[in-house]
Amino acid sequence: MRTKKWLQTGLAAVMASALLIAGCSGGNNGNKNSASGNDGEVSTEPVTFTYFGFGANKDTMASDTTIGKKLQEQTGVDWKMEYVVGDGSTKSGVMIAGGDYPDVISPVGELAKLLDAGAYIPLNDLIEKYGPNIKRVYGDYMNKITNEDGNIYILPFTANVNGYLSPPDPSSTFWMQRRVLKEFGYPEVKTLDQYFDLIEKYQAKYPKVDGKDTIGFATFAGTAGEFFTITNQPMHLAGYPNEGGVLVDMESHEAKLYQGTEDEKRWLAKLNEMNGKGLVDPETFTANKDQYLAKLTSGRVLGYVNYSWQINDATNNLRSAGNDDLRYVALPIVFDEGIKDAYVDPPSFVNNRGLGISVSAKDPVRIIKYFDNLLTDENQKLVEWGIEGETYTKNAEGRMVMSEEQLTNRNDNDFKRKFGFAYFDYEWPRYGDNSVYDDGNAHVPFNQPEVAAINYTEGDKTLLEKYNLKTFSDFYAEPVERPWYPAWSIEKEPGSPEQLFSQRAGDLQQKYYPRMVLAAPGQFEKVWSEYLAEYNKLDAKGYEEFMTNKIKDRIDGKW
Amino acid sequence: MAKSKTNSYRNSSLGDRIFDICNTIFMILLVIVTLYPFLNMFALSFNEANDSVRGDIYIWPREWTLRNFEYVFSESNIFFSTFVSAARTVIGTVVSVFCTAMLAYTVSRPEYKLKKFVSVTFIFTMYFSGGLIPGYLLIKELNMLNSFWVYIIPGIIGVFNMIVIRSFIEALPEGLMESAKIDGAGDFITFSRIVLPLTVPALATVSLFVAVYQWNSWFDVFLYNSSTPSLSTLQYELMKMLSTSNTAMSSSSAADAFANAQGNKATVTPTSIRATMTIVASVPIIIVYPFLQKYFVKGMVVGGVKG
Amino acid sequence: MELGKGTVQVGKTAVQLAKSNNTGTSRFKTFFKELSKQKMLMLMSLPFLLWVIVFKYLPLWGWTIAFQKFKPAKDLFDQKWVGWDNFKFLFQEQQFYRVLRNTLVMSSINLVLGFVTAIVLALLLNELRNVFFKRTVQTISYLPYFISWVVAANIVQMALAPEGIINVLLVKAQLIDHPILWLGEGKYFWGILGVTEVWKNVGWNTIIYLAAITSIDPSQYEAAEIDGASRLQRMFYITLPGIKPVIVLILIMNLGHILESGFEAQYLLGNGMNLDYSENLDIFVLKYGMQMNNFGLATAAGMFKTLVSFIFLIAANNIAKRMGESRLY
Repeated sequence: MRTKKWLQTGLAAVMASALLIAGCSGGNNGNKNSASGNDGEVSTEPVTFTYFGFGANKDTMASDTTIGKKLQEQTGVDWKMEYVVGDGSTKSGVMIAGGDYPDVISPVGELAKLLDAGAYIPLNDLIEKYGPNIKRVYGDYMNKITNEDGNIYILPFTANVNGYLSPPDPSSTFWMQRRVLKEFGYPEVKTLDQYFDLIEKYQAKYPKVDGKDTIGFATFAGTAGEFFTITNQPMHLAGYPNEGGVLVDMESHEAKLYQGTEDEKRWLAKLNEMNGKGLVDPETFTANKDQYLAKLTSGRVLGYVNYSWQINDATNNLRSAGNDDLRYVALPIVFDEGIKDAYVDPPSFVNNRGLGISVSAKDPVRIIKYFDNLLTDENQKLVEWGIEGETYTKNAEGRMVMSEEQLTNRNDNDFKRKFGFAYFDYEWPRYGDNSVYDDGNAHVPFNQPEVAAINYTEGDKTLLEKYNLKTFSDFYAEPVERPWYPAWSIEKEPGSPEQLFSQRAGDLQQKYYPRMVLAAPGQFEKVWSEYLAEYNKLDAKGYEEFMTNKIKDRIDGKW
Repeated sequence: MAKSKTNSYRNSSLGDRIFDICNTIFMILLVIVTLYPFLNMFALSFNEANDSVRGDIYIWPREWTLRNFEYVFSESNIFFSTFVSAARTVIGTVVSVFCTAMLAYTVSRPEYKLKKFVSVTFIFTMYFSGGLIPGYLLIKELNMLNSFWVYIIPGIIGVFNMIVIRSFIEALPEGLMESAKIDGAGDFITFSRIVLPLTVPALATVSLFVAVYQWNSWFDVFLYNSSTPSLSTLQYELMKMLSTSNTAMSSSSAADAFANAQGNKATVTPTSIRATMTIVASVPIIIVYPFLQKYFVKGMVVGGVKG
Repeated sequence: MELGKGTVQVGKTAVQLAKSNNTGTSRFKTFFKELSKQKMLMLMSLPFLLWVIVFKYLPLWGWTIAFQKFKPAKDLFDQKWVGWDNFKFLFQEQQFYRVLRNTLVMSSINLVLGFVTAIVLALLLNELRNVFFKRTVQTISYLPYFISWVVAANIVQMALAPEGIINVLLVKAQLIDHPILWLGEGKYFWGILGVTEVWKNVGWNTIIYLAAITSIDPSQYEAAEIDGASRLQRMFYITLPGIKPVIVLILIMNLGHILESGFEAQYLLGNGMNLDYSENLDIFVLKYGMQMNNFGLATAAGMFKTLVSFIFLIAANNIAKRMGESRLY
């Protein structure tokens, strides 16, 4: 037991005399309905296990959802699903300190801590004995899911089976309002200079919209939590996918930080130049999210930089407003013509997100069997597509399709909860997003081109036509295989020099980016060298070495 | 005895009248500034969530809807958790105020030999904490996880409140307690029969502090009782809703977005949920206020004491 | 019971009475002898003493974390002990002195501003003649207290935006030529924060003084009225002295919280441009302690805060004692 012995005895002594309190403490320790049977015989006796997710979701009983009910019919297992509220690290801290764990835990960002605490049981033997489907799905990834100590603790969510299907609607981070493209006859926009030139020309022509000034360019850098929006761009502009701070050379596999390099300087200098021309929103570094989203929906902004998921609320709003001219399209912007963009994620395996069984689990065998049962083709279709005739249909060619209404439902949060998609289509052992079924259908509905096409408005179709494209993904270059991808999932140990470096380097960016972007045109160089001087005090070399080693390990199969 | 009121002076001089006018104008300005956030929350909570994204909602909804409230009340546990909130507020307040007042009485007695020791022992605790994890382990060792008592017992004494009540007791005429003693009353009798009724304004004030604290608490639910739905409170249910509506926000790493890839249509947004929960959670406690208010807004007490 | 009306002396502490100057063992003897007569008082206070030891003092073993590279999964004896490393990191960090300065300045502003405005508002409310109006104003003024900081900060940010109401009004009044980016300039941050805190909390903070005012003997006002005192005079010579003991007590207690300048307001209103002024100790600890799972650093910072609190608390209490004011203990 990990509770402090002396604390216990001390407490006992105090408690003996503390009638006041002792009389009142009558808490039962909850779920102790121990499932009988460690024998491993197939049992469908009804049992309820506990599931804890460090992602955000509404608590539920699995059997209250259509999917959960179906799975319960097959296995007899029900789940009490609980999710974190507020700060995950607080919850994991007390969970570990208390030593009481739910049966299974999806750790999200808390994996390192939970592993360190020995919260998970090794799954190797269980998989060997009871998991034929698990072996089929994760077989190719065994080295990636095996820990340094030779044990498997969690089953990740990204094990693609049967090939790799790219999403039809990826997006870059550089968005431009469609009326700008329309105005200039849908020109090809590829480089950062072209992007800003177009904005500049348009604004000169139309300085006002609905009586209000147009805003040339905006991005969201007002809060510390999403400051990466502005700092990630040099990476994308230089033709790299999101690796989280480093650029990894394709040949030498050396990881190089782009902070403090010419790439970063170029990006900031460009923003500074545009600011000098009055094209950058002055509130870039001070607005909060609500203000920013309101600005985007106003249609005044000609171009902005964001990941699409950051601004869903605004884009949905514009879409339902129905004016396609005021909507935006993401373009494959890079620094120079010669650079190949990398906005479409390469095949990746995220090994630090997954689901594992905790040391407190009463019946790991039942659980692993449940996992295994979940990984049949049939049940994977159930958790992603639902029930044929109800949430999707098959057309004559055997393709799985959805009607508009079915698609609306599939996107509707309330429906997703009631049906169970919201609980079962992620954060369980599963086929990766890019998987394909034997019959050629996409595992994830949104990767099915037929489904994606339903969502296109007339404006979308016109736009694609003008550029001679079929889907939005045709804007982008094919992804290149990067066997280590993504580098951001490399765990840094709590309190390690690498972690400290990241924090300090990030602090510097937060402090100096506004100064550099908003500096008077002649002052930029001066602020830049000030920033560089501060940055050079940090141990970037050590950090790069650490990352390079980890990346080389991954290439060697040591994940 | 004359029931005098501070507002009974009628002999206003010119200076007094100017003062009154300025004062009233100032108060009206204050009302405008302090009422605004609530009106804003009201407007946002009744406005269509998707439309609120456009901004410019101030004190009146633009596109009326009850959708936000429907969403909040569709949570099946919301009514029972409101009951738990009410229970912890009532029980917690009564127990804490009574215990705190009793302790305050003992440390207000000049003859009590342990007066200073007890005072100091409590006062110091305002300025330190052992931290989250030791606190959690303590509750676990005391077997108070997943129990209602974890809402009541750790907060039995409020030190700040104790000081407030003590200063009120000390302000009572000394002769009062002396004469009670002479009449043969023990300390507990003196406390419950004489001191308690005379410190009503202080008790009302402190009750308000404790009640608001109890009503608004959610962190202890999260920490100790999160796996027992029957002990969940209103504020915790609302926090859960907010955190669910925040899914996109919760992934601080850009690549986590992978998980919530495709654009799902927002029927509710964090902003509208937050506005709605502000209204839902604070209206009940605000309604309680005027009942307590009468004890400390009107001039009363000492003048009204009779034998 | 005949009560001494009009002789109420608020905050009169009678400790002075019971000071006997016996020496040596006899002092102990008399102490215990007298104590044994106070069984009821002991019965009424000692259970709570036990409570405070269990719930407040026992968890202090957690302070050992400050000397560890703490891992929650390990036993106390299996932890890696690092001596004073966490404190060294704290005091050698150059950011530390900046955030310490910000913390001190902001909490001083909050203390003074919050204090003065709450007292003034209580006095002014007390002077309102119409009871209904008085109650209404008071009820409304405390409403912002129930708004979460996220909402409050949002409203402040909207108001201070280039097109927000503050800039619009100032431009209209021709006090400024161009809208000012209020939150983009560090030098304005402390002021903005102070005003925001007042706006959010003044009504709530008033309650305690209003309660104190009720215990002032009305006959004093009657006497003053007969003497022809004006409203302002009555405020200054009766009401204010009447609530002075409460004011002093709260002042002492708040001085002990000198390193608590709040957290959410700074975190939400802070941004890259005002970072140098907005970041306080708690945010620093969040970034370098909690977010990096460095519980040791967070605990060390907590201990530092406690130390400073005690210094301020004891000093303030002693000054109050010297000046013959009410004191905390």
